[in-house]
Amino acid sequence: MTSGALSIRNVSKAFGAFRALDNVSVDIEPGEFLTLLGPSGSGKTTLLNVIAGFERPDSGSLMVDGVEFITRPPHKRDLGMVFQNYALFPHMDVFNNVAYPLKLRRREPADIRERVKQALDVVQMAHLSARRITELSGGQKQRVALARAIVFEPKLLLMDEPLSALDKNLREHMQIELKRLHDRLGMTTVYVTHDQQEALTMSNRIAVLRNGRIVQLDTPTNIYDRPNCHFVAGFMGETRMLPVSKTSNGYELAGRPLKLALPPSPVDEQWLVIRPERLGWQGDDERDNRIEGLVVDVVYRGDSHSISLKLPGDHEISIRRAPTESKPLPEPGQTLTLWLRPEASVLVQDSAS
Amino acid sequence: MHLRRFAFAGLIGTAAICAASSAFANDTLTVAGLGGNLQKDLSATLWQPAAAGAGVSISEETQDGIAAVRVQVQSGSPTWDVVHLGADECAVGGKEGLFEPLDYNVVKSDGFDKKAYGKDWIATNTYSVVLAWRTDAYKDKHPTSWKDFWDVKAFPGRRALSAYPQEMMEITLLGAGVAKDALYPLDTKLALERLKEIKPNISVWWSSGAQSAQILKDKEVDMMAIWGSRVASVIKDGAPVEFTYQDGLLGYGCMAILKGSKNVAAAQKFIAGVVSPEIQARIPEMMPYYGPSNSLAFKVGKFSPEVLAKSNMSPENVAKQTPIDTNWWRDNSELVREDYSLLMSN
Amino acid sequence: MSAAADEAPSLNVELLGADERRHRFAMFGLSVPALLLVALVLLAPFSWLTWLSLFDASGALSSENYARLLRPAYINSFLSTLEVSALVTGICVLLGYPVAYLLSQLSQRTAQILLVFIILPFWTSVLVRTYAWLVLLQREGIINTWLKQLGLISESLPLVNNLTGTVIGMVHVMLPFLILPLYSSMRAIDPVYLKAAANCGASPAQAFRQVFLPLSAPGLGAGGALTFVLCLGFYLTPALLGGGRVAMWSTQIADAVSKFANWGAASALSVALLVVTSLILLLMRWGVQRLGTSVGEH
Repeated sequence: MTSGALSIRNVSKAFGAFRALDNVSVDIEPGEFLTLLGPSGSGKTTLLNVIAGFERPDSGSLMVDGVEFITRPPHKRDLGMVFQNYALFPHMDVFNNVAYPLKLRRREPADIRERVKQALDVVQMAHLSARRITELSGGQKQRVALARAIVFEPKLLLMDEPLSALDKNLREHMQIELKRLHDRLGMTTVYVTHDQQEALTMSNRIAVLRNGRIVQLDTPTNIYDRPNCHFVAGFMGETRMLPVSKTSNGYELAGRPLKLALPPSPVDEQWLVIRPERLGWQGDDERDNRIEGLVVDVVYRGDSHSISLKLPGDHEISIRRAPTESKPLPEPGQTLTLWLRPEASVLVQDSAS
Repeated sequence: MHLRRFAFAGLIGTAAICAASSAFANDTLTVAGLGGNLQKDLSATLWQPAAAGAGVSISEETQDGIAAVRVQVQSGSPTWDVVHLGADECAVGGKEGLFEPLDYNVVKSDGFDKKAYGKDWIATNTYSVVLAWRTDAYKDKHPTSWKDFWDVKAFPGRRALSAYPQEMMEITLLGAGVAKDALYPLDTKLALERLKEIKPNISVWWSSGAQSAQILKDKEVDMMAIWGSRVASVIKDGAPVEFTYQDGLLGYGCMAILKGSKNVAAAQKFIAGVVSPEIQARIPEMMPYYGPSNSLAFKVGKFSPEVLAKSNMSPENVAKQTPIDTNWWRDNSELVREDYSLLMSN
Repeated sequence: MSAAADEAPSLNVELLGADERRHRFAMFGLSVPALLLVALVLLAPFSWLTWLSLFDASGALSSENYARLLRPAYINSFLSTLEVSALVTGICVLLGYPVAYLLSQLSQRTAQILLVFIILPFWTSVLVRTYAWLVLLQREGIINTWLKQLGLISESLPLVNNLTGTVIGMVHVMLPFLILPLYSSMRAIDPVYLKAAANCGASPAQAFRQVFLPLSAPGLGAGGALTFVLCLGFYLTPALLGGGRVAMWSTQIADAVSKFANWGAASALSVALLVVTSLILLLMRWGVQRLGTSVGEH
């Protein structure tokens, strides 16, 4: 059994003057769940299409388990794929959709029935195998599409924003299911999304793309906690960036020297990454960085209060105040002092591009 | 109120005067022909002088055959008084009672073939179906009769017949050696057999006069059965084509008075004029390749040898031809037609 | 307070009901012109036709007009009409499907330009186009002359005044009727289905046969049915290019009316044509639905 290692080297693709992929290289480990994350136009779907064989790159190499795939036609790549709108064949029922890859591989009818049943069992759709596609709900189509992609046990599973057409609750539910399925089947998976939450939930590693390039490739924790540039930091979570100024022996924010856990890179223009959940109500002037903001309004949300603050430099941020918080609820117009611990104080610079 | 009643009375008065004047003075007959050049020629040659002679004026309409006539009569008050049709249609109309009987004290049938008139219709002109051929296809030896038409060894080449059996059945029997005066009643069985024999050599079964002229002119066929008037126009256009009246079929155009016409008496006088030898004598010169239905026309008129050679009814040409028995076609046309169309397309 | 609450459920019920009825009536009113038109130009003539077909030439009620249809000449022309129509439809499918497919794969803009060329013949009368074929195909016509000049043939080929010429002429007239519905149905097929098929392991040929073809089947059925039904009633081209050899039902109808003035017979022929056409349409609809669901399950 081959393992499903994927090695992408120096892949470039231009559409006229637009560089959809700009010298992209990435190695994907066998069994890894890698997410390509980025805004629209970042090249993530183009990269997935190059892997699937639907897009011919201008240059580059694509090795699957050491075999060059770059000119192999899509139907000879043996990759499973789940499409954004599922692309289930409307003229076939559920069973025949899932059986289609096996029929093309000329498996025995009994074998086909068995494998289709297994695949449908995995996605809990075995009871609907005689349904017409038009009779399925969005979530059910999603499961059938997944079953069709895994039924022939491909080395590699590609998913192109597979959950984007589902409503929020179902999407979150399916994220967990897909994650468990991946853990169970152990297929190398390349997953395309523009939803950072989805990427953080599911991936072993995330490749953040921008303008056809990978700007950061790392684990979800590092991508979130240690963004390597302004763009990645801004793309993850509800983030505000405050400009800091360089001094002779470090950086300072609003006239106070910044306490940092990691030594910053010696660049003039840097921003302090501020995420609401990292701002503490209690802190110590000696140990932590003090952030002061002007309370704009206070909104009751049941489980908490949401407080809108205006930070220095006219940045507005919304923080939560849990009912367990001992400090009194501030009122609009007051100044509120919050604290950022050195480990949570991350500086980023402009990304190269 | 008073004013309105007065105006209404005035209207009735005017209408009465109009009606009276049309009854006494100059009657207007409405004559419906088959349109086209044929009607134009017939009108100038026969209808206008006949109307003048009868002291009536005519207004012309066009119609497309017996179906339209039937609709007119069934309406109870036909707007046409006299119609010009093919003789087979006159025969059918007579059988269906669509016409007023002709008064043969007024309309003189002297000089007419017995097949050329009925109790309520009379032939006004003749046409011929003739054998025509391309002279560039038959240089040394050309066909001279329907026997030659069937002789594909001596006269190879593509042939054409009409898609409708009238005249074609007669031609076939003449080609098979049946004597002219023994044609009717037609031996349909023999005719269909002989048609089946010649079928592989028939390139086109033409269904309109225009088509018949086109296929001869464009050399689609080398020899064919065609109307005399049509072949004349092909020759006039300069195509290398000749034809013979030998074994030709003579058909009739006819006139009848619609049942329910309000001008029957005037119409009788008008038709009497149309078929009179004097007016019929205008046909050979004014409508070459058509002919007078009244043979006395050739006694009354004096014609040049050229005119006589062209006229299908000159004594010399008429002797070569056979008149169609419209009554036979009236009674048998439907079944013959079906057999004929089956033969064509099978 | 409590009195008002009791009355509330029936407040304005009649007023609102009347408003609803007025609204419905107005909507119905919009469709009245169309309904009248259908009644006037379709139902009335058809009823009249059916009525006429029930009487013989003498005006008596009889089944003569329908009994006649069973005679050999009519059965022959009926079968030959079906044959010619099927042949023309078949050739149209063979020629039209690749064209529609090509158009559907081109960019919208290019396709629209090319579509103009397909629609162009609609702007020329069928009569003119048919005569043009006569000029091209006849014995001394352009095609035969060229072939002879090139030395490819010594004797003129019989290209017209027979079935060949009729089929050529009819295919030319009918092709757009097949291509247009087919093209629009192909346009509606999401290209992602072909990607999905390829991803499942289908070669381009397999993807075409097992996915594209079944998905285009409804359009093909609609275009095919339209072409076939139009062929059934086609008069002009067979009459001009058939040389009397191609016995079409429409010729029988035309002859019955214009040559032999037999309205009863013509009506019976028309009613029979209409009934057969409706049956064929129903059958094709059923067939297309089956085709759409069965291809791909093999």
